[in-house]
Amino acid sequence: MNETLIRLRLSFFLGLRSLRRGNIGSLVMTVVIIGMVFTNMIFLPSVITGAINLFVEQTIEYSSGNVLIEPKEDAEVIEDLEDLLARVNRVPGVLRAAPHNNIGGVMKFKGSRLAGSVIAIRPRDEVLVTGVSKMIREGQYLGEGDTGVIIIGNYVAGHKDKSEDLMPSLGGVRTGDSIDVEFTNGVTRTYRVKGIFETKSYMADQAVFITWDELESIKRQKVDQATEVLIKTVPGEDDEEVKLSLIGMGIQEKIKTWNDLLGKAFAQVVQSYGVINSISTIVSIVIAIVVIFIVIMIKTLNNRRQIGILKAIGIHRTTITFSYVFQVIILALMGIVFGLLILLAMDRYFTVYPIVFPDGDIRPAFTIADIVTNAVLLFIASAIAGFIPAWMIAREDILTAMRG
Amino acid sequence: MIRTTNLSKTYYLGVVEVPALRGVSFEIHRGDFLGLMGPSGSGKSTLLHLLGLLDFPTTGTIRINGMDVSEMDDDERTDYRLRKMGYIFQDYALVGELTVLENVMLTAMAQGKSENECRKASEEILSVVGLSERLKHLPKELSGGEQQRVAIARSMVNRPIILFADEPCANLDTTNSRAVLDQFHTINEELGQTIVMVSHEEWHKEYFHRIVYLKDGQIDRDEDRRSHSA
Repeated sequence: MNETLIRLRLSFFLGLRSLRRGNIGSLVMTVVIIGMVFTNMIFLPSVITGAINLFVEQTIEYSSGNVLIEPKEDAEVIEDLEDLLARVNRVPGVLRAAPHNNIGGVMKFKGSRLAGSVIAIRPRDEVLVTGVSKMIREGQYLGEGDTGVIIIGNYVAGHKDKSEDLMPSLGGVRTGDSIDVEFTNGVTRTYRVKGIFETKSYMADQAVFITWDELESIKRQKVDQATEVLIKTVPGEDDEEVKLSLIGMGIQEKIKTWNDLLGKAFAQVVQSYGVINSISTIVSIVIAIVVIFIVIMIKTLNNRRQIGILKAIGIHRTTITFSYVFQVIILALMGIVFGLLILLAMDRYFTVYPIVFPDGDIRPAFTIADIVTNAVLLFIASAIAGFIPAWMIAREDILTAMRG
Repeated sequence: MIRTTNLSKTYYLGVVEVPALRGVSFEIHRGDFLGLMGPSGSGKSTLLHLLGLLDFPTTGTIRINGMDVSEMDDDERTDYRLRKMGYIFQDYALVGELTVLENVMLTAMAQGKSENECRKASEEILSVVGLSERLKHLPKELSGGEQQRVAIARSMVNRPIILFADEPCANLDTTNSRAVLDQFHTINEELGQTIVMVSHEEWHKEYFHRIVYLKDGQIDRDEDRRSHSA
């Protein structure tokens, strides 16, 4: 057998027995600390990933769809809408396209005024593309052909006590109330509030929807224009591929995936989260290194005499050093398993009781990449923290070590 | 077999020089059961440590089977100790976290033997020292005499060319001391094992073939007792 393998085998033999027959209290304490450090290393990135996932989900589900078509450069609206929709809906990978026509207006309710966008939708298409219909807090969603009714977002409805509102609101609108809308084309209509939705997305909950039929009634003409077309792709389809297919069909309008839309600002947010995450990871690693270093330092100092004896009877100092490194690796492994159990319990808990934020319920997302990366980091840190004190004691001269 | 030439060792306590050995030259022959005796501070343990490659001499040379071992580096000395030497210390020096069998297997494993070979050789030698029934016990579960017998088994498992014992009976009562010395006598007589043992007990003399008396770091007397040995 190769000399290195012989030494590693003996190191493992010594390390394993030292753990099995050593101080159980110190072993449990070290495992718990490593487990907690590992949990801490994973938890923050999982919350950040959860928040990012939530933001992406909300953007796709309530604001842009998977792919968004916007008017051409220098145009305010998309023309020949029906033709465009027919073409888009034929593209492989497209589940459905839903047009939006965004018209400005001022809403009035019991003395409160709120300027904003009123979006005309085709409910039959919309329910296939966005998730607003599933988030009706009270009342009902719009039906195809509805006129004289409106559905409004939670922030627009607001509270009677405006101090409870996070955003400007109409001051406590309820289903069945009537609100006046003064459109930018001068038309004023009174609408019965058919439903109020609450998606917890800042952007979505400030929206107000009417039907396409209502829009045509306001404009007193057939409307074959849209300000945007939201596209829902078939689950599992690559949005970028669908975008390329749309471009390939000769569509001249601007076509963007949700990722394009979130763009640089989103990348900056992710980068900023990454910095916070890195700082947290470094702090956790330093804590792990210090704890393991102290534990192994105490252990090697207590075993100083034994280390001297081992050297005296011909056990190489590398074997002795690595017996401690193996102990630390086993401790780190046990700590990581313990940490994973904690994370599993947390995952179960947060699935049922997510962390409630004003802009949504965040479920920490434990990714395999985070777990593997942090486990490897912890292993390396542990091995270094275990190696240094063992190496220091193992290179002492035999008689000094044997005197203890 | 072992020849020392002008061996000296000086310790330093701050700036104060403490000469522990001063120009010791002598020879140990194969099959010797040699006693190093002398009053406290005479340098007998220091000499044993130098012969056993546990420490470096300040001056002088040690040749074992013609090879100058004082020139060896740390790694070579470690390997030499493992393969060629056995040690018995006065406080047994067993690894507390290993069983009797594992303590003995340790040095055999370090030589790269298979686990089966190590186990077989260790069980065999433990049976010779009368500890077959105690294989799975930890050192703390044994008496002092039993622990010293484990140490003897450990030192013998690799069949060393020379066995060093540093006051192996210092912590034992007379009965156990005699058992240990009888064991040494047996392995010396039956296996031809060379043994160098430090002792300050007068009655141990009866076991030695030869006694080197040290005084103030020098050889005071070299007595061949082969005609008197037990």
